[in-house]
Parts: sequence; structure tokens; C-alpha cells
Amino acid sequence: MIFGLALVVFAPSSRAETIAPDELVRRLATEVTNAVRNDPELQNSQSPKIADIVGRLIVPRFDFQRITQFAMGRNWAKATPQEQKDVVEQFGRLLTRTYSNAIASLKELDIEVKGTKTNSAANDVTVKTQMIGRAQPVAIDYSLINSAAGWKVYDVTVEGISLITAYRDEFNTLVSSSGVSGLIKVLKKKNGE
Amino acid sequence: MKRVRQLALGFAFGLSLGTFAHADETATQPYDPLERVNRVTFALNDVVDMVIVSPLVSIWNAVLPQPVRQGVSNVFDNLDDVYACVNHALQGRGTQAGTDLSRVLVNTTVGVGGLFDVGTKIGLKKSYGDFGQTLGVWGFSTGPYVVLPLLGPSTLRETAGRAVRVTTDGRNLLPTNTYYALTGTEYLATRADAKANEGLIAASSLDRYVFVRNLYWQRRSNLVQEGRQTTNPSSQP
Repeated sequence: MIFGLALVVFAPSSRAETIAPDELVRRLATEVTNAVRNDPELQNSQSPKIADIVGRLIVPRFDFQRITQFAMGRNWAKATPQEQKDVVEQFGRLLTRTYSNAIASLKELDIEVKGTKTNSAANDVTVKTQMIGRAQPVAIDYSLINSAAGWKVYDVTVEGISLITAYRDEFNTLVSSSGVSGLIKVLKKKNGE
Repeated sequence: MKRVRQLALGFAFGLSLGTFAHADETATQPYDPLERVNRVTFALNDVVDMVIVSPLVSIWNAVLPQPVRQGVSNVFDNLDDVYACVNHALQGRGTQAGTDLSRVLVNTTVGVGGLFDVGTKIGLKKSYGDFGQTLGVWGFSTGPYVVLPLLGPSTLRETAGRAVRVTTDGRNLLPTNTYYALTGTEYLATRADAKANEGLIAASSLDRYVFVRNLYWQRRSNLVQEGRQTTNPSSQP
């Protein structure tokens, strides 16, 4: 009986993945490309099944809290806890929705992990990959951070162009002109709410 | 009189490049003092795109099968490799210039006039290069962000680079009609290639003008850093 209880207590933490960041990226890429290849329905960018794949395979491996914090920069401290929660939710929704459309095109593409580089600290790394299948290989780097919940992606850099840097500029402009509430309003409108 | 005018323009131009020395392209915040004008041009470009360019691109995509479109893009990419080679040499990147030259030779001969990108297949990596990048490697700052009619995002420095290319390009030797046909085709092919990304940018950005400006700024900054790294690995900023 105590044994059974111990199992219940320990089961959740034993599910926490402690895989290395490059392995995480490799698995993420393989799982998504395999899913798209094996199911023709996923090759249609309008398919509702895509949301399922994105929710299952991609979202858990991304740290939307941190992505939003980076994009907000100094403006994060200016926001109330409720506003912070709203921005994370809306921005996460925006990213998930728009980049899900790109999934369908992964049918003919392969992602190869090329190496890992440590950034400022041991728990902050960049995994370099190449996407091959188009005319020229595309360099895509994933920046990951390690925490209690395991490694998670906090930035994607395509051919040297960082996503959160681009969004930081946008967020800055919007917050400067209409405050954090204005930013949230724009995000909600963009998400169709 | 014309010669004096040209010299004066050239001098004024060079002077203006120097006065913008405080605009540091390694800063993530783009330098955009002309934002109001730029936003107007940006909006006008969208209108031209909607009315003229997009319909043409649709016809282009419908009429030409993918391998043909890829071939056309490859031919122009091959010409770009010549330009890249010269610029990489000017930047002091001999090895890269050598690779570029090999690419041009292989793609023009085995690749049938540039139609097929054989170079990439045999391991000769394509590396972009232009005179704006060269100017940056030489130490010129970007100057203000400029949105050019039809051509889109640029900076004062990059526009100068573009002007140099246009005036020194070998295609100036072609008869006028051929020149325009070639340039028009190149423009169409470029816009057709960019279509997929344009959709994604429009869907994922909150203020497209700001988003595009930032993407462009990051790109130019990376190109100059790339150019400097290979030149002087010891003198990193």
C-alpha cells in the first residue's frame, strides 16, 4: 500500500524529460516531419488536425512565458500581473496560429541538427540546424533554456534573423504609443477576438 | 559642367555617408528618422503590389512549371554570384571569393548557363554578397533606413551599393529592350520567390512596417558581421 502511494507520488516527476537540448530539437523535428508525411490531411494548411499536432508536439517544448518576457524587454516590468498573463496568452496564440501554417510545407523538408553552442550560461544553449530540401539549405537556430521543467525553446533564428528581436521592436513601438493595454488589444484583434 | 555636377554629387554623397557615422547597424533598434515618409512609400508599395505585381506573379506561377521557375531564379542567382565574388574579394575574403568563382564556372558550364545550381550539390556553398555589405565591412555606417519605391527596404548605404551595381553591371551592354526585359523578369522571379514568406510576415506581425524594418535591419547587420569575421577574426567589436 505504501509502495503504491510512493508510485503515485513519484510518477509525475519521472515523466519529466531530462533529454539534452540537441536531442530535443532532433526529436521535435523528426516527430513533426514524420507526422506530416504520414498523414496527408496535415499537408493541407487549413486542416484542423494541425492544431492538434502543434498542441501535442510543439507547444510543450516552447517556453512562451520566457519568449514573451524577452519580447517585452523592459516593458515586462511595466505590466501588471494580469497584463503579463494576458500578453503571454495572446502572443502564444499568435505564434502558434501563424507558424502552424508552415507545418504543412515540412512534407518535403528535412531538418538536420548541426551542433550546439553554449550561450551566456550552461543552461542557455543554441542548437544549430539546417533545413534542407529547398534550393538552398536554410540555417535555423533554436535557443533553449534549461529549467526544472527541462529544456525549452525561447527563440528561433532563421538565417541569422531572430524572431524575438523582431517582435521586441514591434512590442516596443506599440507599448510606447499605446501602453501595454494597447499591445494586448492589438494582439487580441490579430487573434480574431 | 556635367562633370563638375557629378563630382559635386559624389562628394556630397560621400560626406553624407560620413555624417551618419553615429548610426550603428549592430544596434537592434533600426535608425529611422525618415519613418513618416518611409511608411507612405511602404503603403504605396503595397498598393502597387496588390494592383500590378501580385497579379503578374500569379500569372507567372500559373504559366511556368516549378522547375522552369527554379531555372529562371537560378540564372539570376548565378549572375548574383559574380557580383558576390567581386564583393567578397573587396572585403578581403579570398577563400569565399574563390568558392563564388567556382560556383559561377560550374553553374555556367555544367549547369547550362546557370539554369541548374550544380555548385550547391557538389558542396560549394552559396554566400550572398553585395556592395552595401562591402561598404559596411569597410566601416561605413548604414545611415537612415529608407523604403525605396518598388524595391522595398534599404538604407542609405545599401542604396549606394545598389547604385554602384546598376552602373557597373555588365548587362548595361545589352540593347535597351533586352535590358528592360531582363530586369523585369528578374524582378518578377524575385517577387514570386518571396510570396510565401510575405504571407507569413503579414499574418504574424502586428505592425508590418516595423516588422519588415527589423527583419531587414537584422539581415544587413548579420551580413556585415559575416563579412568582417572572415576578414579579421582578431578584431571583433
